[in-house]
Amino acid sequence: MELNTKFMIETFFDALAGIPVTLKLTLITLLVSAPIAFFMALGKIEKRKIAGKLISGYVSFIRGTPVVLQILFLYSLLPTLLNYLVKDVLGLSFNVFQLDTILYAYIVFVLNTTAVLSEVFRSALLTVGHGQMETALTIGMTKRQAYIRIIIPQAVVSALPNICNATIGLLKSTSLAFMMSVQDVTAIAKVKAAYGYNYIEAYLDICFVYIVLCSAIQLVFKLIERYACAYKKSSRTKGGALYARNKEYI
Amino acid sequence: MRSFHPSYILEVLIQLLPFLWVTVAMVIGTVFFGGAVGILLAAAKVRKGRITRLLANIYIYITRCIPSVIMLFIVYYGLPELLLGFGIDINHVGKGFFVITTFSILFAANMAEVFRSAYEAVDKGQKEAAASIGMTSWQTFYRILLPQCTVVALPNFANALVNLMKEGSLAYTIGLIDIMGKGQLLIGMNHGSYALETYLALTILYWVLTFVVEKSFGVLEKHLSKGKKALSQA
Repeated sequence: MELNTKFMIETFFDALAGIPVTLKLTLITLLVSAPIAFFMALGKIEKRKIAGKLISGYVSFIRGTPVVLQILFLYSLLPTLLNYLVKDVLGLSFNVFQLDTILYAYIVFVLNTTAVLSEVFRSALLTVGHGQMETALTIGMTKRQAYIRIIIPQAVVSALPNICNATIGLLKSTSLAFMMSVQDVTAIAKVKAAYGYNYIEAYLDICFVYIVLCSAIQLVFKLIERYACAYKKSSRTKGGALYARNKEYI
Repeated sequence: MRSFHPSYILEVLIQLLPFLWVTVAMVIGTVFFGGAVGILLAAAKVRKGRITRLLANIYIYITRCIPSVIMLFIVYYGLPELLLGFGIDINHVGKGFFVITTFSILFAANMAEVFRSAYEAVDKGQKEAAASIGMTSWQTFYRILLPQCTVVALPNFANALVNLMKEGSLAYTIGLIDIMGKGQLLIGMNHGSYALETYLALTILYWVLTFVVEKSFGVLEKHLSKGKKALSQA
């Protein structure tokens, strides 16, 4: 098997041009879905009956169906639906089909990530002991204050590894955006490959790009974790020492 | 806008059902091969050997970073060429082979982490206690550690299984005719109409599959953790 290394190196640098789109998709999706997911998690924890049921149904639906299917489904439904809404309901002469398709990519990934993150946030909020909330309430904090000052800073710490996982999952699933003709890393490399059937080289390039991106994300999260865990430092080193001793003993 | 035909969803469902076995066979094949590699990787991670642990870590790190659709294409286009270099011709092998290979590679990394965390979750005292009553290390593993690990690993395993099933739907991109592939074929045969109904039928099918997997694993977990309850009550 011979790899066309010249093509591979050229395409690698071409594919780099798609990184901003991939990162933009990941970041904006995260920023949009995090607040929604947080309130969904709260709704489930605070035992709002109807809202809780709805949220459970939504999460189960999103987690029960493949991302590809969601992409295909929404990509075949949304443009016509939007067109119908704009033309027939609102009566505007705006052409929906001229919209950048990245918009649909955002919608799909936000729907998806919201479900994933809401579970992450819910489990993180549950790890904070019940007593914390009660203590905050007894010293006269409102529920809102208790959440912002007491619960969330603690929950963030336990949520971070899972948020990191969710981010990586999201980054990987953005590679499917080429189905919606979004010009991300995958799409650019695929187009380049189609000229001379150099598919394997192009896909290896994409692999490298994703490995670099994932490593960067993991690094960023490590730094954030170090910052967010600052208050735990003393106890953590103690735990670490204990762990090391245990290991030696075994 | 063309009107929506709910009755067509049922019609599509009936046409999709015969292809369910392809999806299920893909999942079972992947669990078998991926699970086997996963056990080896997990063993490499918990054992003392430095080099094997490093290799296992590198493998897990890299496969974790690669989107499954890209992995699928690499295996589909790259593996025949690579093996041809060794004089093995697999160009006539069915597409299922490539799909199972790809997802086994990815699934193995997941499984390695699931098995490792389950193994480490069992208290070290159990191992020592077993050794102190004279069990060999194989007996300890088989009679003491394995039953306890299984309970711990089950929820994560169910999660990985559901993810595998969902990602398996990507196999249609290389032309495997599972339920997703058949759905796409149906849309093609209808010249792109009834796409919405077909996708809805697929969505229902996947949702039901996920539901069944999650529920049955829940039941299994309850059944297997019986011993655990008795222990804590004593």
